[in-house]
Amino acid sequence: MTDQHNEKIERRQFLIRSAKAAVSVAAAGVISAALYDKQGPKAAVVTESLVTLPDFSVPSIDGQTISIVKGPNRKATVARAVELLGGIERFIAKGDRVAIKPNVAFASSPLLGATTNPELVAEVVRLCYKAGAKKVIVTDNPINDPASCFMLSGIGKAAGGAGAVVVLPKPDHFRHTTLAGGKLIVNWPVFFEPFRKADKLIGIAPLKHHHRSGASMTMKNWYGLLGGRRNVFHQDINTIIAELAVLVKPTLVILDGTEVMVTNGPTGGSVSDLKRADTLIASSDMVAADSYGCTLLGLTASQLPYLAKAQIAGAGTTNYESLKPILADVR
Amino acid sequence: MDSVPSRKVRLESAVSIFLLAVLLLIALAVFIKQFDFDMGRFGMDAAAFGPLLEGLKTGAGEKPSFDFPLPTGFKKLSEIEIYTVENLYEKIDGKAPLYIESGFIKLFTQRFVNQGDDNQWFELFVYDMAAVRNAFSVYSVQKRPDTDPFSAMEFAYTAGNALYFVHGRYYVELVGSLESSSLSGAMAELAEKLAARVDVGEVEKIPELTLFPQENLVPGSAKLYLSNALGFDKLSDTFLCRYEMGEETVSAFLSRRQSPKDARTTAESYYNFLIENGAVVKPTSDATLKTVNGRVLDFYGTTEIIFSTGPFIAGIHEAKNQQSAEKLAARLINRLSEAARMEK
Repeated sequence: MTDQHNEKIERRQFLIRSAKAAVSVAAAGVISAALYDKQGPKAAVVTESLVTLPDFSVPSIDGQTISIVKGPNRKATVARAVELLGGIERFIAKGDRVAIKPNVAFASSPLLGATTNPELVAEVVRLCYKAGAKKVIVTDNPINDPASCFMLSGIGKAAGGAGAVVVLPKPDHFRHTTLAGGKLIVNWPVFFEPFRKADKLIGIAPLKHHHRSGASMTMKNWYGLLGGRRNVFHQDINTIIAELAVLVKPTLVILDGTEVMVTNGPTGGSVSDLKRADTLIASSDMVAADSYGCTLLGLTASQLPYLAKAQIAGAGTTNYESLKPILADVR
Repeated sequence: MDSVPSRKVRLESAVSIFLLAVLLLIALAVFIKQFDFDMGRFGMDAAAFGPLLEGLKTGAGEKPSFDFPLPTGFKKLSEIEIYTVENLYEKIDGKAPLYIESGFIKLFTQRFVNQGDDNQWFELFVYDMAAVRNAFSVYSVQKRPDTDPFSAMEFAYTAGNALYFVHGRYYVELVGSLESSSLSGAMAELAEKLAARVDVGEVEKIPELTLFPQENLVPGSAKLYLSNALGFDKLSDTFLCRYEMGEETVSAFLSRRQSPKDARTTAESYYNFLIENGAVVKPTSDATLKTVNGRVLDFYGTTEIIFSTGPFIAGIHEAKNQQSAEKLAARLINRLSEAARMEK
């Protein structure tokens, strides 16, 4: 049988055929590698230099990193929470230009708790002006008709009524950025222009259940800064939230757990999805704020992988108790 | 020492095996990578249009409008918006995967406002889910507890400011800006008009819903998990119902598989899954359970029961009391065994 085989295929022929087969395999591999799109769909062709969001943080003070205030009235709880961290003057200086980033993701009624409470936004605007802010802008980047989102959520009217300038996103507000060491935020467009000239940045987020990430709080709130087809990041939601927590260095974050959306988030839809927790958290460490906040959803920090990822990346601590939270009750 | 020809043959075989191994590796890599797809780009094609879209009036130069009358005293606040798999996230952000993974095709939305009071508005969401089972699944898994039934339809309820229902292949949400009786009335009126005008033909029944024992069943508690039911990725198309057993609420589940063999295999896999995750076998003296080789497990202080009968895998989930769990399991076994016999 061997002799018969050798009669049919000479050594030279065999080597030629083997080489052809190897070249075919290698060519298939090279073509596949060349066609493989590691980045996924791009929002736009990058023709500009990359930008970096400014660092808006203020120096930390031991024992004044996180405050947790109980009470049903958001005006009272936020005022007390900020006061416990050293007062608004610790965060806002005279002449500052302040950017406030609420969650205005949906064109839904404030009743649903899917967006930041408008009265809370207005109160923070007032606090900033009280501290001597020169200008306060309130802005977000909802994909779905921003004007409707700001109008129906009540945030546009409330912020404007308190003296803030509401900035709706425009195409020229976006610049590409890359997070050093980032896996997902690479050459990606972010909502940048409204923050470029700001001195301080305050994030205000409602506390919500989230179908994909488990919970939407202060870190997830920065998702609104992403431009392009940001839904691609839902495939790796924990990494993108952690990367946002590293990318954005806010002055202060406020987590509103007065009425918590405990099911059917992030959109909700019914008041039945809400549960009163009468709790408001203010912090200069958003990982700590969210680590406490998730307990109001009946979760622990270890159940939300993005918190551990953010901690490892140096964005803050999940061990909020180590920061000795300042507690108060204004009921 | 080997002869030259036999060395050639071995070399040839070795190279062939190497090439086959490379091809297998490539095939394996493609197989693994195909799970990591972007639903937004490669999800179900929105080519199929249902009767709702057929009902849209789109005359020359006109903006589309639904072909059903508006509630008395209300006018449209916005134009109709239509979303597909490609851009559903623009409307509902992180909740889009829930729908897309359940067969979503299109979403139609529009807002309506009270002509005499701008604060009273509501938004209509009509999700075309391609099939009644899909529509029932997204309806049921999002169903709020402690709601009021909306008697005009089989699967419908009101919850404070909102009304939810299934109409054939459509899952419909009406979300009000306020809790008010006039707004609720308007939403109910629109729901009935929509259901009357949008012809969905003869609606396919969901037979599993009739297989659950009726005694102690919490009305309207049925949920359908199309995938990853009870945290187990091999348990698809699974129904779960709640029961009031004395002071305790117990859940029963069932799933129809392709064949009795498939049901047995899935039951075994689910049993192994629970054991691997810390469940411990509990003794049982229940005679009915023994007829189907039912297994009782302690899972961190709760009782789980698993069995298969005919083409069904079924059981009890997260019961505090073993006696209640076994009592309900026996009822379910009798019910399913009877159904399996009827099928034969």
